[in-house]
Amino acid sequence: MPFAPVLHSEWLKIRTLRSLLAGLAAVVVVTAAFSAIAGLDASSDEDFDPLFSAFFGVSFGQIAAITFGAQAVSSEFQGGALRVSLAAVPHRGRWFAAKATAIGVPALAVGLVTGFVSLAVGKAVLGDRGSGLSWGEGLRGVVGCGIYLALMALFAAGLTALLRSGVATLSILIPFLLIVSFVVGGMSGTVADFLPDKAGQVVLHETAEGFLGPWTGLAVTGVWAGAALVAGAWSVRRRDA
Amino acid sequence: MTSIDVQDLTKEYGSTRAVDRLTFHVAPGRVTGFLGPNGAGKSTTMRLVLGLDRPTSGTATIGGRPYATLDEPLRHVGALLDAQAAHGARTARDHLRVLAASNRLPERRADEVLEEAGLASVARRRVRTYSLGMRQRLGVAAALLGDPPVVLLDEPSNGLDPEGIIWIRELMRRLAREGRTVLVSSHLMNETASFADHLVVLGRGRLLADMPMREFIDARVQPRVRVRTTEGAALRELLARHGYDAVEGADERWIVHHARVDDIGRLISGTGVPILELAAEEGTLEQAYLDLTATEAEFAAKTPKTSNQPQEA
Repeated sequence: MPFAPVLHSEWLKIRTLRSLLAGLAAVVVVTAAFSAIAGLDASSDEDFDPLFSAFFGVSFGQIAAITFGAQAVSSEFQGGALRVSLAAVPHRGRWFAAKATAIGVPALAVGLVTGFVSLAVGKAVLGDRGSGLSWGEGLRGVVGCGIYLALMALFAAGLTALLRSGVATLSILIPFLLIVSFVVGGMSGTVADFLPDKAGQVVLHETAEGFLGPWTGLAVTGVWAGAALVAGAWSVRRRDA
Repeated sequence: MTSIDVQDLTKEYGSTRAVDRLTFHVAPGRVTGFLGPNGAGKSTTMRLVLGLDRPTSGTATIGGRPYATLDEPLRHVGALLDAQAAHGARTARDHLRVLAASNRLPERRADEVLEEAGLASVARRRVRTYSLGMRQRLGVAAALLGDPPVVLLDEPSNGLDPEGIIWIRELMRRLAREGRTVLVSSHLMNETASFADHLVVLGRGRLLADMPMREFIDARVQPRVRVRTTEGAALRELLARHGYDAVEGADERWIVHHARVDDIGRLISGTGVPILELAAEEGTLEQAYLDLTATEAEFAAKTPKTSNQPQEA
């Protein structure tokens, strides 16, 4: 079976579910909104980072991104949908690769748009305080934002395939992102640097602290996402549908 | 040839054997009814045939090939497993477009099978607004999408209204007439009797019977004759003389066991016993099935034997 029709089918699945499209739209809106709110906070202390201020909303926008990734996979685990999918495409590895591609590519595109919008909104709100940002830093932030959001969506997708439940995935990831990361967020130079969100968000900061640089940080997030996808693919291939 | 071949198929879930060394063959050109109580292993067998579950041992092939090796399988095999499989937020048409795209089927096939399933007018409605019967029709439409020579339907009449039941019956017969291989599971006897030519009967994962339906019934249920007469005593005496046992029912009706209507009619004709009604009572699938399961329960460990005892259903 060739890959292209399977990918086409998986892409149609995403396009024909309004909740998934709404999830993608939410990534842009939520990120930009929280970035604007962060920029309005005028109390700039000495570690004020104008780049991260413009991308501050990513912490919340990523919730929408992982929800998108989890939902796109979890819809297969409702009411025997997976059986219909795998009866149409019995090559499970290829099927899951198509599914991941159909999640990752739109997530990347939306992530890049999110980056542009968030940076534009953030800079507008920051005004003079954001004037120190260079063009290169802005571009790095936008590209990094796109890749980061796509990787988080894929991380959630892989985990959902492994756990066979979107609810289980989100009830692990959302508290993790909102609570654990905030608690350990202040600690740099520890193992916490290698958490999937903390590592990937280095690219959104003007100056990198801790072990990882912008791109090595994204690579660490990539390893997390890749591991989740491999585990998900293993589960899909191994287990009875 | 596009037959389904199940060979020594076994599936264990933990310590329970859902399918136990099952061997049977489903031939094209006829409707094969797949019978058995809930939990007998019908659905598991279908999932094994479709490569969705992995067998513990044994093989299941379609046209000699395992399902998973089929290229664009919807063109070879269509299956309805679960009416709830379509996502509620998608429209029926989109559900079918998604499936069609994966097997490079033209999009017009989606419209054609929706038309065939009587869903054309609601094709653009979300599946969550559908009744169970409509979902079942959508599942059948999905099974027909690739115009496949092999069709597997798991309890297709579930939730269908009377018109739907007639529709699915006629559809299955037509598919068989067109030379396709049709395997239909059910636990409803009268329903199965109305469309099946051949039967595969399961009980606790094992094969209990694999034979033409008529043969299955005739082997297990002796025919009876119903006679209505005003002179019951004379009738009974006459029949007793010829070795028939007549039992009186309500309204002057007598039931003659182990008898064919041709014999009884000839016998009575010259005797002057007034006959108001004379009718054959053919054995039903339900009677035959109950007889089979009764012997199964009795000799659970042994091979079931054919019983000649009639069953009062």
